[in-house]
Order: sequence, then structure tokens, then C-alpha cells
Amino acid sequence: MKEEHIEYLKEAIGQERVITDLEDKICLGYDSTRLEYMPDVIIRVENSCQISQVLKFANEYKIPVTPRGAATGLSGGCLPVHGGISLIMLEMNKILNVNEVDLLVEAEAGAITIDIDKAANKYGLFYPPDPGSLKTSTIGGNIAENAGGLRGLKYGVTKDYVNSLELVLPTGEIINTGAITVKSVSGYNLVDLVVGSEGTLAIVTKATLGLLPVPKARASMLANFTDMSLAAGSVRDIVAAGVITATLEFLDNVTINAIEDYLNVGLDRTIGAMLLIEVDGYQGAVDAEAEIVKNVCKKNNCTDFHLAKSDEERDRLWSARRAALSSLARVRPSTILEDATVPRSRIVELVEAINHIAVKYGLNIGTFGHAGDGNLHPTILTDLRNKEEGKKVEKAIEDIFVKTIELGGTLSGEHGIGLTKAKFLKLEVSEDAYKLMKNIKKTFDPNNILNPGKLFLS
Amino acid sequence: METKINSIKTQHNKKAKSTSQTRAARVFLKGDDLFACSRCGTCLSICPIYKNTLNEGFAPRGKLSLIEAVVNGKIGFTDKLSEKIYTCTMCNLCTTECPSGVKVSELFRAVREDLIENSKYPEVLDYLKDKIEKAYNITFDTNQGRLDWLKQVPDTDINDYVKPTADVVYFVGCVSSFSPRSFSIPRAIVKILKKADVDFTLLGEDEWCCGFPLLSSGMKEEVGALAMHNIEKVIEKKAKILLTSCPSCFHTWKHEYESLTGKKIPFEILHISQYLLNLVNAEKIKPGKLDVRVTYHDPCDLGRNSGVFEQPRQLLKSIPGVELVEMQTSKKQANCCGGGGNIESLNQALSAKIADSRAGEIIDTKAEIAVSACQQCERTLATALKKRKGDTDYKIKVMDVSEILLESLEG
Repeated sequence: MKEEHIEYLKEAIGQERVITDLEDKICLGYDSTRLEYMPDVIIRVENSCQISQVLKFANEYKIPVTPRGAATGLSGGCLPVHGGISLIMLEMNKILNVNEVDLLVEAEAGAITIDIDKAANKYGLFYPPDPGSLKTSTIGGNIAENAGGLRGLKYGVTKDYVNSLELVLPTGEIINTGAITVKSVSGYNLVDLVVGSEGTLAIVTKATLGLLPVPKARASMLANFTDMSLAAGSVRDIVAAGVITATLEFLDNVTINAIEDYLNVGLDRTIGAMLLIEVDGYQGAVDAEAEIVKNVCKKNNCTDFHLAKSDEERDRLWSARRAALSSLARVRPSTILEDATVPRSRIVELVEAINHIAVKYGLNIGTFGHAGDGNLHPTILTDLRNKEEGKKVEKAIEDIFVKTIELGGTLSGEHGIGLTKAKFLKLEVSEDAYKLMKNIKKTFDPNNILNPGKLFLS
Repeated sequence: METKINSIKTQHNKKAKSTSQTRAARVFLKGDDLFACSRCGTCLSICPIYKNTLNEGFAPRGKLSLIEAVVNGKIGFTDKLSEKIYTCTMCNLCTTECPSGVKVSELFRAVREDLIENSKYPEVLDYLKDKIEKAYNITFDTNQGRLDWLKQVPDTDINDYVKPTADVVYFVGCVSSFSPRSFSIPRAIVKILKKADVDFTLLGEDEWCCGFPLLSSGMKEEVGALAMHNIEKVIEKKAKILLTSCPSCFHTWKHEYESLTGKKIPFEILHISQYLLNLVNAEKIKPGKLDVRVTYHDPCDLGRNSGVFEQPRQLLKSIPGVELVEMQTSKKQANCCGGGGNIESLNQALSAKIADSRAGEIIDTKAEIAVSACQQCERTLATALKKRKGDTDYKIKVMDVSEILLESLEG
């Protein structure tokens, strides 16, 4: 970037909001992929008008602009791979109002996900999407990546809750799109196009999101199985019995052993898989559903079954799942967390394939995730400073992706394509569909200034 | 002793010169620890500095990336780096909560030591060091003033309080010794000790700063002589127990002195809240009834950093009528009061913002008294609660655990 461009931006947006210190750029040049790309300049914005000003200028001089929320992404979405401007959205964090009649909440893009949920809780409502990073992540980032979470099977993901958006287009226009009504068919659904577009089409500045009433009761259960196929059989049978669980999580043997190494909470190290199941709703329904879940697990020969009798017990059951990632993270210095997703019926095949791939490359891979919606988190434990091992990791990831697509699945359930999976996108998307996506990008962003280098190979 | 301190100072200066040329950095030894940070961002949701600034450079994750940049040769020990590293309350919540188990505070201390060696540190630390080296305390008063808090009490015979030998030594700490606002704490403590017939003594002007402010700033080498002096003075008293009322003094005595001096400490080290509970349990004192709703704020250096969570709570519960309610965050997850890590002298507004958040947690409990076990926390919280006066229709008093115990004893 030219010095005069930075000077102009300082003049337009304010000296203190335009930052060029190397130390600050280092701190804003990574995300949870741990890859590093430094911006040329950081701009801390506080309103849509400033963003519009920045984008108009950037569009004129073809300067890359990459929006950044809390940078907890796992596909490199906020990394300024081509330098340019890193647009910091954190100060636009107001939760503007909760509408308890229409079940809506309006928030600025920088609002923290959990704060939105907390604001809704005051009215007996909740915001269902619960990505793992919800205590840190911003709603703008969740929308850009179409973040998922543990409750996907019953409650869906971010896209199911976005009613309307305020957007700043790459050419600088500020638009409102979508409707705050339950139904709306006026024109193309731009909201759904922007949700999950990874900050490549427009910058989300404000969102109106749907809420639901907090369930009156819930029941948490844990079941152990000698091998993964029995656990997967239970998952299949639970759904076949007509029970849509709020959460249906599984942990594999590698993950269970990592948790035991770290926390020593008395998990059975010999089991092949553990399921954590939660049903919610009215008490009567919860009791009936819990009974069905129990019978299904028993029929599938679970070696152990627990139903939490109190909140403390529920917390204890869940402690293993909560500790899964951090326990795996402690095994080796680097942790590569993928989110390959297959139809529920193909989970066993994917888990078996992952185990096979681990053996093939001599890698340590722990797998856990959302069995209910087929979204697995194969987690490769490695040391990325070891270049040779790094190459094996690359190959293993590619093998996992190829297998996932073969099983009718998708490359990414909830993390996004971004930078890290861009080279695999064509495994899943046909040449014509790819071309159409590129054309959509061009329509929004003729000069390719907004988050360039993501989704598509440049 | 004067010469001892001075000689260490010169030694240190000499060393600083030679090492700054080669920039032999401690952080270089921490490669693996540094690399373990996965940049997951968990620390962003808990760091009091980040939450109040939304500035990644002040977040643990940002600081670790900067330290890594130093190790990788991308940046040197710059002023900007120094500013970011020193903007920290040292509450240590990030270390406790880090999913990857990164020893964050250890790394921060290492880089502070490097910054000191490279003469990149806040100017205020020079004043601090100067004060401690000249007067052995953190104020500009001479160390003769150590007992002013006691001398101002009428009819006090100082010989009752400073004895040649005693079972117990009470190490008052710089703040409670010199800051009139905190005098009520040591006064309460000595009153209780008298009531319980404890054979105790103060060190008077032989008490030197424990060294914590230097240690946490990265000036470890200056602390050895202070530690040695203090240990020797307590040994001279033939004491079996050393008491502190300041959690930072406690932490330093308990967890740093032996490794700093290489000396085995031959007496027990207790925080006053632990000792007072022992007195209650041994029925040396019997708390009277106080019908009051209280909440307890865990000081970082006593709770998270020294593992003392239960005894102050048990002490409060030993007072009949006291109803103890916990704040939204407590014990290991307790939020900082905003008064830690020199942040008050470096960025007062930021410190006040952090204190205000904690004050909000106190108000939410609807407690009438917020009790803590640290003179610094109590001062910071009292100031923050005062500013929030309009928020509640009742008045919240801030007290030290020793003060509320004394009130119950006096009825």
C-alpha cells in the first residue's frame, strides 16, 4: 500500500483508528489456523459509514480489504493474505434490542455470540447456534462462516436464524436485505447468499436474528460402546425412533484416552466410542424421549449408560466432551482441527477411513464431533515445525476430504473453505457451479478487493 | 545490608550491559511453550485487559504472538512491545483457562526480564526500584515509618509489638504500613492477635519490601537480597510462623523466596485468613453474631496464584449470622479487581474500568458487605463501588476479612 493511501485513510477515518505499527500488525495477522499474514494497515471502525468510506476508497485504488472479528476461525477467513486493510469490527458490538413478541434480536456485527444469547435469556429466549468459540466469536464472523455448533441436528445452524442484514458492499453502498417476518419471498434471497460467503461478497454490519423460547426441561445421557459401529447404530436407531435430540456427540478412543491422560476423570480407556446425548422440551416429552434413547443404547449393547439426575451430574457428564479439544491439544504442539461432514448413515465409514489414514501416514488423529448431524472433527495431533510430518499431515487431510466426498459428504460442515480448503473446493463443486460462484463474486466485487484469496484459488 | 543491595545493583547493571549486546533472551528458551498456543482465542473471553480495550495486542494470545515474533527475529525488544507486555494485571486467569495448557504467566515474566535487560520498560519501574533500593519500601517515606499505623493509636507501648523473640511474626507489607487508607487492616489484625493471646511480634523497620513489585516487573535479580534479609530477620525472632496480610507478600514468601535464595525456610508461612481460621477452630477466639449478607472477592495472588480459596470463606462462615453469597465468577475463575500488576500506575482509566466490572458482580449479589483478603483489592473495589453509588439503593461496605472478624468479636 502506498504511503499516501494510508495518509488519506488517517485523514478520513481518524488518526487513532488507522494503525500501522508492526507490533499491532503482528497481533492481527493470525487466526485459529495459526497461519500468519500481515495487513499493511489496520482500521478500527465504529460504524457502517466508515466502512463505506474505506471500501469506496479501496475499490477505487484496488486495495484488498479483509474484515476481522475475534479471529477464532479455523479456515483462515480473516487473514489478509494479500495484505492491504484489516478491518477490525470489534467496536461495533452493540446489541440493539430484543423483540420478545417477534422472537428477534438485533445486533451489530462485532457483538459476541454468547452476549446475544445472554441478552435473549433475560426474556426466557435463547439464540440456538452454539459454535465452540461462542464465548469469543463475533456474530458477524458466525454469519460470514455460517457457524454451526453442538445443537445442529435439532436447532440447525447460523443460516437458520438470520432474518435480515445490513451490508456494506465492496463498492461502498450500504444496503438492507431480508425481512424480519417469518416468511418473505421478495426477490432473490441475498441473506442466504451472504451467510457463509466468508466475507467475500459484502461486509455484514448489523443483523436481525431469530430466537426461540428456552426449553422447559432437558435430560443428559452418556453411553459407552465397545466400538464405533455400535455407537453409530444407536445414533441411527435414535433418529429412526423419531427422537430428534438437541445434541448427540461422540468421542472416539484416541480422544477418550487424551482426556484421561489430561484430567484423569475415570473414563473407560478401553471403549471404542462414547455418546453424549441431550434431549430437551417439555418434561413429559423429555422423559419419554430419554426412555427411548436408553432402550436404543441398550439394544445396541452399550457397556454403560448414565442419565444425569441433577445439574451437577449433567456438568460432570459433559466435562469430558468440553475437555475433548483441549485434551487433544496438549498431546502435541500443533492441532489441526477439520470438520468433514457426511450423512449420518455414513459416519462409521468415515471414522474407519480416518483411522486407516492415521495408520497409513503414521499420524495421531483423534476424532470427536457431532454424530447427530454427521459433522466430525478429526483432529490431527502434530508438530508443524517438523516439515516432513507437515507433508504427511497435508496428504492425510487430502485423503480425508476425498473419502468424505466419496461418501456423499461435504468438505466443511461449519468452519468454511477459506484459505485452507480452497484447493479442495473443486472436489465437491462442479466446474460449472464453480464458475457461477466466481461470477457471483464478480457481480458483488468487480475489482476483487473484498477478502481476496479465499474460497477460490487465485 | 545497604552495601549488599548496592553491590547486587551494580552487578546487575554490568550484566545488563553485556547481555543486551547479545540480547540473550530468556524467551528463546521457551520455544515449545510458545508454539503450543493454538490461537484459539479462549483467553480473549476472560482477559480483563482485552475485554476492556478490545485490543488484541493486550490479549494473552496477542502477547504470545509478539513474543514468538521476538524469538523468530521479526521484531526486537521495542517500546511498543514493552507497552503491550506491561499492560497486564497479572491476574493469571489466562494461564488457568488456557485449553492448550500454555504457561502464559511464566512466559510473560520471562519476557519482562528480557525487557528489563534491554532497558525497555515503563519509567515508573525506575522510581519503584529506586524507592525500594533507597528505603526498602515502595513509598518515599523512610523505613522508620513502618509502624506509624500503630504509633498513632493512643496508649500504645511499642515494646508490646516489637519483641526480641516471638512465636509468630506478622509481616505487615508496604501498603498496609504506609498507606493510611489501609491502616485499619493491621490494626484489626494486632487487636485480634492480642485477644487470642498470641505471642507475636512485628519487624518494624527491619521489615523490607518483600520484592513482589520488582519480581513481577521482571527485576528478579534485585529481590534476592531483600528475601535474604527478611528471612534472616524472622529467624532472629525465633519464630515458628510468619503471617502476612498482603496476598502478594504471601505469594512471594511462600512460592518465591526459597528458589530466590536457595535457602530452606525453617518456619511456616501463612496468610492471615488461614491463621485466623486456625485460631477460631482452636477456640482461641469466638466470633459473635453478625446478621449480614456478604460476598467474598478472591485476590488473585491468594486464590488463583496460591491456591487459598476455602479458608477465608470458612472464616466468614464461622461468624454466626453471616450469609455468604458467591459472585458470578469466584475462586479459580474469579475476575481481577483491576489493581494488579502495576496497571494502576500505568493506565489508571483501564484499571478503573476493570474494577467497575467487578463492582457490578458485587452489586449483583445484593451483598451488604464485600469482603476480601487484600488491601489492594479492597481499595480498588471500594473506589469502584463508590462511583456506582447510584446503581443500588443500599450501601455496600468493603472490608478485609480481619476487619469483619474483629467486628464480630467486639460485638
